[in-house]
Amino acid sequence: MSDRVEIIAGERPIREINREIRAAVAEGEPVVVRDTLSRHNLGIGLAEGADIRFEGSVGYYCGGLNNGGTVHVTRNAGWGTGEAMAKGHITVDGYAGMSVGASMRGGIIHVKGDAGPRCGVAMKGGDIVVEGTVGFLTGFMAHTGRIIAVGGAGEACGDSLWGGEVWVGGPIHSLGVDSKVIEPEADEVADVERLLASLGIDGSHDWKKIVSAQRLWHFESRDASAWLMI
Amino acid sequence: MADDLTGGYQYPFPMPDEDDVAMSDGAVHGRPPGVPSSYEAGRSIRWTPDSIAEVHALSRLGRYQIRGFTTDNTRFPTFDDLTFVPASLTRLPLEGYRENCDTRTVLGGGRPDLVSAPLELGIPIYIASMSFGALSASAKAALGYGASKVGSLTCTGEGGMLEDEREASNKLVYQMTPSRYMLDLEHLRQADGIEIVVGQGAKPGTGGLLLGMKVSERVAGMRSLPLGVDQRSTVRHPDFLGADDLQVKIEELREATDYKVPIFVKMGATRPRFDVAIAAKAGADVIVVDGAEGGTGASPELLINHTGIPTITAIKAAREALEDCGMADEVSLVAAGGIRSGVDAAKCLALGADCVMIGTAALVALGCNSPRYLDDYEALGTAPGQCHHCHTGRCPVGITTQDPELETRMHVAAGAERVARYLTAMTMEITLLAKACGKSSVHNLEMEDLRALSLEASAFTGVKLAGIDRPFGW
Repeated sequence: MSDRVEIIAGERPIREINREIRAAVAEGEPVVVRDTLSRHNLGIGLAEGADIRFEGSVGYYCGGLNNGGTVHVTRNAGWGTGEAMAKGHITVDGYAGMSVGASMRGGIIHVKGDAGPRCGVAMKGGDIVVEGTVGFLTGFMAHTGRIIAVGGAGEACGDSLWGGEVWVGGPIHSLGVDSKVIEPEADEVADVERLLASLGIDGSHDWKKIVSAQRLWHFESRDASAWLMI
Repeated sequence: MADDLTGGYQYPFPMPDEDDVAMSDGAVHGRPPGVPSSYEAGRSIRWTPDSIAEVHALSRLGRYQIRGFTTDNTRFPTFDDLTFVPASLTRLPLEGYRENCDTRTVLGGGRPDLVSAPLELGIPIYIASMSFGALSASAKAALGYGASKVGSLTCTGEGGMLEDEREASNKLVYQMTPSRYMLDLEHLRQADGIEIVVGQGAKPGTGGLLLGMKVSERVAGMRSLPLGVDQRSTVRHPDFLGADDLQVKIEELREATDYKVPIFVKMGATRPRFDVAIAAKAGADVIVVDGAEGGTGASPELLINHTGIPTITAIKAAREALEDCGMADEVSLVAAGGIRSGVDAAKCLALGADCVMIGTAALVALGCNSPRYLDDYEALGTAPGQCHHCHTGRCPVGITTQDPELETRMHVAAGAERVARYLTAMTMEITLLAKACGKSSVHNLEMEDLRALSLEASAFTGVKLAGIDRPFGW
């Protein structure tokens, strides 16, 4: 028997399921959600202290807008896992679909399998750790934060980064527009390894750190007077 | 990137001086090549001063031109192509100064099971989403207070929720653009409505643009961007692509805000007959259709002038789309784009909108293009009445700037009062027309109250041609 409040998702209205999750969280109870059926929008806008385990796979936006909760998905997750998360910790034991941590601002998302395309798209802070590989356009137009792909990265890695970092421990298929690989500093590597160790991951890899080449920060013409011509 | 086009080709001679490229030799002070006012009009209707200046500008810059404000395309039909036909013997007018005409407007009231707190406005007009960044904080606050005084609302725009505006606006819609700058759960929950942006009328199919001159410390901080970058925002949302995903996203936002506030979807008017149907089916409570005459703080000029369809044409198509889906009672329709007065707004309502949104007009009420600080207009190469230099951040009247000194010219209290009076006057204009047409509510205005003054306007909207009393058909 679990010491968690048990909620059966099944085919019940999502509104009802989330209401029960919120009620348990308000009581300070950890929750296990069973029969998840890859439902969308499970555990949205969780508050500080929430502790939810989804037994099975979840659909889109699981842990979206997370505001301090701990979420554990025991199988796979669909698009936008932890999107716009401000703080908290999300773990996906299996694979995660497109746009993991889209526009997240803080906290940690840990995917044990692979992650789909646009991992960390529009990210504004926090850390995404993917033990497997990440898909194409990883970090697309991210601002700040760190994406760590231990296994490798697909096409157009780090495309159009404003800022932020993409760390890749394995092969990179190709770099995206306006990104470049730079040699990480020893203390940065140590910081990444510490984070990975805290998640139980061996961090000793030949790390490649991808950052913005900053060519897209400005229009080619930087002559301010030129803007006045029109 | 333009750099990519040249592919590393090197001329067999040195790069010319920029002054030579700019045709500075023999040029006269005050008449620089590339600026329309430097040229006399010839007899060619094709090679006008504008088109000659454009070629000279492009051949100097190697990129498209960027500016703010609204379309210069003279081929767009205008609201003036429609006229009202008030009551006479076939209909009974209401007394213009004595009888009531209801102006209350509810947005998102069609789904009480999903929206427990629809937006209830005193008037059928609200202030369009314009970001802090595009606008100064003082301008945002003034719009907020002005709108609050007359029971209207404002919308954050894409730069996140500004404290000054939340404090000023009794009702504030929080905008979720593809860039998701500072998307914050607490801000979502403080909002009175949430607007998912899939496009805007001035430049559909492209994202926000804020040139580095306006990416000040406060703006950069709110958007978590490097200071002073030319911010070209993403156009696709990061975590949904098509209509099915949008439906899930809308449900997520309802979950995050506990099924309280209405969810808006705002789009530029391109294919409203289909786009509106898709947004409605995806679950939007309010659909905002922004016509091509809509304004912008900065955009490639070609998009402002040459993309999108006119507002009057989009409203009719959007209304028919909602009716075709059987969702006209569930979904509210807001029209925007080029509305200058209560007369324009009344025509939008008659064509099928439930409410209208004004952007540029509200800025003009704040003082945009007002004849003051003439030296500063001149420094921009422009003058009151023709200024479209929002993109430079050098707004002579402190509205579209982040310069602290220029911003002092935007007096919050006076600006708020002007906006409130302007919205009041617009509302009076609408009710005057509505009562003359015999309507006890502005929402009873209908197509039959209009006649078209041009074949085009009739063909575009289905409004009957004046005199002949039937729509121009095919």
